Amino acid sequence: MVSVINTVDTSHEDMIHDAQMDYYGTRLATCSSDRTVKIFDVRNGGQILVADLRGHEGPVWQVAWAHPMFGNILASCSYDRKVIIWKEENGAWDKMYEYTGHESSVNSVCWGPYDFGLILACGSSDGAISLLTFTGDQQWDVKKISNAHTIGCNAVSWAPAVVPGSLIDQPSGQKPNYVKRFVSGGCDNLVKLWKEEDGQWKEDQKLEAHSDWVRDVGWAPSIGLPTSTIASCSQDGRVFIWTCDDPAGNTWTAKLLHKFNDVVWHVSWSITGNILAVSGGDNKVTLWKESMDGQWACISDVSKGQGAVSTITDTQQNEQ
Amino acid sequence: MRLKEIQRTAHQAWSPAGHHPIYLALGTSAQQLDASFNTTAALEIFEMDFSDPSLDMQLKGSLPTSNRLHSIVWVNFGMGADGTGGRLVAGSENGTLTVYNPEEIMSSGVEAIVGQSDKHTGPVRALDFNPFQNNLLASGANDSEIYIWDLNNLSSPMTPGAKTQPAEDISVVSWNRQVQHILASANPSGKAVVWDLRKNEPIIKISDHSNRMHCSGMLWHPDVATQLVLASEDDRLPVIQMWDLRFATSPLKVLENHTRGILSISWSQADSELLLSSAKDNRILCWNPNTGEVIYELPTTNQWCFDVQWCPRNPALLSTASFDGRITVYSVMGGSLKAQQQSTADKISSSFDSMDPFGTGQVLPPLQVPQPTVQDTVVPPLKKPPKWVRRPVGASFAFGGKLITFENPKPTPVQSPQPVPRQVFVSQVTTETEFLQRSRELQAALQSGSFNNYCQAKIQNAKSDAEQDIWKFLLVNFEDEARIKFLRLLGFSKDELEKKISKCLGKSFQPNGHGVDAKDLAEKMQRLSTERSDEVTAVGDARTSGSVSPADFFSQTPKENSNFQIPVSCDTDGLISQALLVGNFEGAVDLCLNDGRYAEAILLSISGGEELLKKTQQKYLSKQKNSISMLISSVVTQNWRDIVQSCELDNWKEALAALLTYAHPEDFARLCDTLGGRLEREGTEKRCLQACLCYICSGNVEKLVECWALHRDCSSPLGLEDLVEKVMMLRKSIERLRNSEVAVQSPILAEKLTCYAGILAAEGSLSTAMTYLPDNSDQPGITMLRDRLFHAQGEAAIGQQPPNSFNRVNVSTAKPTPAAQTTAPKAQIMSQYQPSAPSQVAAQAQPPMPSVFTPQAAPANTGPGLPPSSHVLPPSATRPAMRPSYPQHPAPAPGFLPHQPFQPQPMPMGGLSAFPPPGLMPPSSQPGAPVPMYPGGLHNQGSAPPMASGPYAPLGSGYPQGGPGAPAVKPFPAAAVAPPPTGPQEGWNDPPAVRGGPRKKKVPDNYTPPAPITAPVMGFPVEAPQPHDHAQVPPGAPQEPSVQLLQQLPAERVEQKEIPAEHMVLKSTFDSLVQRCQLAAGDPQTKRKLDDAAKRLGYLYDKLREQSLSHNILNGLHEISRCVASQNYQRGLEVHTQVVSSSNFSEISAFMPILKVVMTIANKLGV
Repeated sequence: MVSVINTVDTSHEDMIHDAQMDYYGTRLATCSSDRTVKIFDVRNGGQILVADLRGHEGPVWQVAWAHPMFGNILASCSYDRKVIIWKEENGAWDKMYEYTGHESSVNSVCWGPYDFGLILACGSSDGAISLLTFTGDQQWDVKKISNAHTIGCNAVSWAPAVVPGSLIDQPSGQKPNYVKRFVSGGCDNLVKLWKEEDGQWKEDQKLEAHSDWVRDVGWAPSIGLPTSTIASCSQDGRVFIWTCDDPAGNTWTAKLLHKFNDVVWHVSWSITGNILAVSGGDNKVTLWKESMDGQWACISDVSKGQGAVSTITDTQQNEQ
Repeated sequence: MRLKEIQRTAHQAWSPAGHHPIYLALGTSAQQLDASFNTTAALEIFEMDFSDPSLDMQLKGSLPTSNRLHSIVWVNFGMGADGTGGRLVAGSENGTLTVYNPEEIMSSGVEAIVGQSDKHTGPVRALDFNPFQNNLLASGANDSEIYIWDLNNLSSPMTPGAKTQPAEDISVVSWNRQVQHILASANPSGKAVVWDLRKNEPIIKISDHSNRMHCSGMLWHPDVATQLVLASEDDRLPVIQMWDLRFATSPLKVLENHTRGILSISWSQADSELLLSSAKDNRILCWNPNTGEVIYELPTTNQWCFDVQWCPRNPALLSTASFDGRITVYSVMGGSLKAQQQSTADKISSSFDSMDPFGTGQVLPPLQVPQPTVQDTVVPPLKKPPKWVRRPVGASFAFGGKLITFENPKPTPVQSPQPVPRQVFVSQVTTETEFLQRSRELQAALQSGSFNNYCQAKIQNAKSDAEQDIWKFLLVNFEDEARIKFLRLLGFSKDELEKKISKCLGKSFQPNGHGVDAKDLAEKMQRLSTERSDEVTAVGDARTSGSVSPADFFSQTPKENSNFQIPVSCDTDGLISQALLVGNFEGAVDLCLNDGRYAEAILLSISGGEELLKKTQQKYLSKQKNSISMLISSVVTQNWRDIVQSCELDNWKEALAALLTYAHPEDFARLCDTLGGRLEREGTEKRCLQACLCYICSGNVEKLVECWALHRDCSSPLGLEDLVEKVMMLRKSIERLRNSEVAVQSPILAEKLTCYAGILAAEGSLSTAMTYLPDNSDQPGITMLRDRLFHAQGEAAIGQQPPNSFNRVNVSTAKPTPAAQTTAPKAQIMSQYQPSAPSQVAAQAQPPMPSVFTPQAAPANTGPGLPPSSHVLPPSATRPAMRPSYPQHPAPAPGFLPHQPFQPQPMPMGGLSAFPPPGLMPPSSQPGAPVPMYPGGLHNQGSAPPMASGPYAPLGSGYPQGGPGAPAVKPFPAAAVAPPPTGPQEGWNDPPAVRGGPRKKKVPDNYTPPAPITAPVMGFPVEAPQPHDHAQVPPGAPQEPSVQLLQQLPAERVEQKEIPAEHMVLKSTFDSLVQRCQLAAGDPQTKRKLDDAAKRLGYLYDKLREQSLSHNILNGLHEISRCVASQNYQRGLEVHTQVVSSSNFSEISAFMPILKVVMTIANKLGV
């Protein structure tokens, strides 16, 4: 069941391209073609404009909140080829860092798990993916994967922090030896997995199933099982669920969640990793859940603004 | 940015949008020759593999053709469902129109040509396919020839109407993108004609009368049916005209930027704001035709480009064909050219090296290909972001099952005047409806304390017998006479038994030969006791004496004979007589035993003292080998361990019944657990359920969880709900019993509860989730969830600030300063606002700071060292007091005082108190309890020491005392009342009638924080001895005396629920306010509100009775009541606001809002 509990009038002057809640679900960040990023305090159903961040010179595509252990930090990326990291200091938001290392539109930003420190992945239409790591003292270390996706990278999403070999329980005490991984999707129709080895980022897997641009990728949060799950959606209207059971992470199998009639722009996992929200070009949001027998079923269509919900139990009904 | 390139002089056609992968078909151009003067012609198909970073295109198929081409298109017609195939249609220089199957070209090539027509008389320069009917194709050639072809049958093409005069070349044909029967054609002289195929005639002619428009291109607007553009090849007028047929007298817009004639145009179907044009000025421009602005200039070679085309499938791609013989594919999204140019240079260089082109015999130096100025290698993307990168819609999940969605209305070609609302929606997603419903029910039961009703409802709705059994057992824990009810549940009904016995007594007694049959056993036992008591009664009647000493028995035996002899012979009888006569009981007993006269032996040994009796029993039992001997032995020797350890598991019910009847409180729980453990080890689901019943009797929450989880799926929300419901009820019954909260100790229970809280959180029930989260755990997962829940609730949860669950990392933009310096001012600022202040490094190790986070709440409670003078709770309990709901615990007993009595917490509402004021208990034994079955002497010896003095002295084992189902043994009630209450004991000895008032003030001193459960059963750890009081009587213990008393003294029970005296003023004030308003109120709506208010204020009074309101709220209420009394409602509302803003919402939500309503009404009515 989906019911609207708060409607935030952003007063953006052009298209909204992203809206993200912070870790606690108390602040909403939005970004728009009007080149601004806005932050709202939405606690208790309210809407208080906290900040109106201006600094981009083009449409702002995505925003991403860092984990609160680093303070209140927000990253934004734009068609102006810039990535800006904003930070709240004493109640005031300001630019913390501006990254201009991309040669084309930066389409996606995503913070790594907090276990890795403050690390941001950025995917750009120049085909490259940048990894910005805060090294302290206002310094950011930049690593760049050139030509990660020919014609452009549209989305990046981090894998949850797990230690290889001990995917469920890890001994406390010593600092775990995490392997940093993330997934990206691009205009080469590919989903690619990347892995850091000896400080270098390497292509780990290349997943082929889409026949058109991969618009978004989402690595599901870990729910304690040794299975990795990734959702990818594409211009071709298809949404795939990729799963990998082997600890080495080498064998990925794709399952078609659904073929929509329009481009699918965005996928988002619930915090507990059991529901996938899919938003498409037909302005429709659908929620999907895996049943006990491993089938993905649409559990509801979200008609925004109305709060109306039609529960669809039969997947076939949604084939249209 | 250049992506692919190949040397060809050719016309090009992209595969259609639906085609995957992307191919580019190239047909050798007519009227262009390269330096080789080669006149062969071919049709080639290349694949665009963009995962290959090189510039090479991959040739997939090639077909030699007899003619060179003027035009080529790739149509959807004949395309397979798999997105391959279609048809290539080529217009040649000699007028032939040929249809190819691209699949055939790529495979064998044998049957590549699927159709051909020579209908056109001259070169076919113009081709276009209908976007609606993919079998329709339009072609244009010399002499004003236009044909409409059906690709199914090329033999009879149609014409759109009569040929235009004078006859001219047709340079371009174009189908309308919105209306399928509209076609336009244009010719080099500059005229464009729009045809309506339904009318079969031209409907409009477009010409600007300048005579300089030499149409090289014409395209319909992708979105607007009435608009089209014309491109002029004339160097004197190198423009693109945009026409709207609604104003067809002059162009709507003229796009001017090229300096020489335009050769080709292409309009993006993915974004109508992107129009490409190539011209003889060597430039390729991208226009926004709606504004006339040039938004992109392609970095190109210095050659004319005679054909430019957007890729239909990949909207960022375009291909160009230039007169220098190159076909190039570009992306308009910008990027770096460096790497690719390098590779090109290498290739050229290496090719030269290998062939020594000038034959000089000298190796040439590597070719220095001039890099086109290094700075320019970065190509910016389109100035205007194309439509296909502008994400119009999104949905993202956030914590607590929130879904953030937004959408943008589809952009209309005509800008709508009113601004579009740019909204973001926050929705609550709930997927587990039944789970939430049941969770709400559970929560309601936990908060209201109506456990009995809850359990009863569960029993009624139970889906299986096993489920029903469990709930029946759980319910019994909340009831009086729990022990007897447990027995009844096990199938041992006292009443039925009595009936059976009376029936049985009429018949002859049949020894049971087939093992321990429980009912028979019970009958036998009962019979035994009944017979005995019958005897006693008989004796009593006969002798009119209450005394029933063994001597009486003995003396009565010979009653049947009026005269009797005392044998003194040397046979056994005589010896016995003699031994008795001299008082040698031992000898007499031995003689009896020896002679098999067991009854006499037992009778005699009773008179001979405890030791002898015991010895006799042992001897007797060691000789008996039948099936009931074990039971009798256990009953007599009170050795229940043997029973639970060695009985047949099928007899678990009987074993449990025996425990319920006989076992000592301090052993009961352990014995139940032992039995449960055995059942559990059996491993079957049935046994595990039986084990669960044992654990419920013993009150062992942890074992219940473990056992349950063995066989039930607890991973699904409903499965978990099943478990949590039972656990919470069992815990609640233990808490009720012990009058203190039970902390979660076992890891498995903590895990389950955390999981449960996690699901609740994911379904949006944040505050409820918080209540289930184990409080005493430092596990990262739990502390993190708690932190997240706390902050996520916003102001509603103020005052519950948990410790930070993670180390804050200082990511200051300023130069890093010592954390201590930044923290202090920040904490001030953040306290009201967002506690996750950056760089709170110093705060992370500190305990919760109520002073910081609830500055206005409970000022008296700020210092942990200051005992509030008139407060129910000690400072350490501030946190639980703010949270109304159930499983919260104060921090592990910091001020634990072992000898102090309990904080007299309010009795659970609605339920009968299982624990009457101890002072009301009679010092007698319990009538109706099975005590008579006990050999009295034995029993007394077993638990003689008075227990009410000081901490409980463990009986030998040191084991915690009692379980909920444990029977109370005789000394209990007696002991409980034995010593007169002195000193610290007065806390619990106070009759409830005087609860509150002066006593309250003492309470903080007497408070003892509840001890956590450290032992598997309820009870008290040895290292933290709990004062012994009535609360230690297990729930299953026989409570008949108390029940009887309570029934006799209903007044006491009512008084117990009375509102404390000092708060009575609240009730009287508010009630009278409501009454006054009701009298004054006129309209029915207000009246209804007031009726509701009268009801809702009941919640307040309940809370007052429970004494569960925090100091802060009580103060506020009194203040409000004073304001109401003085009819200063304005001030009352202000105070109300203060209280509401500074209190835990859920604590006050039941009554505060209605109070405000009443005051507002009162204010309005002026009462």
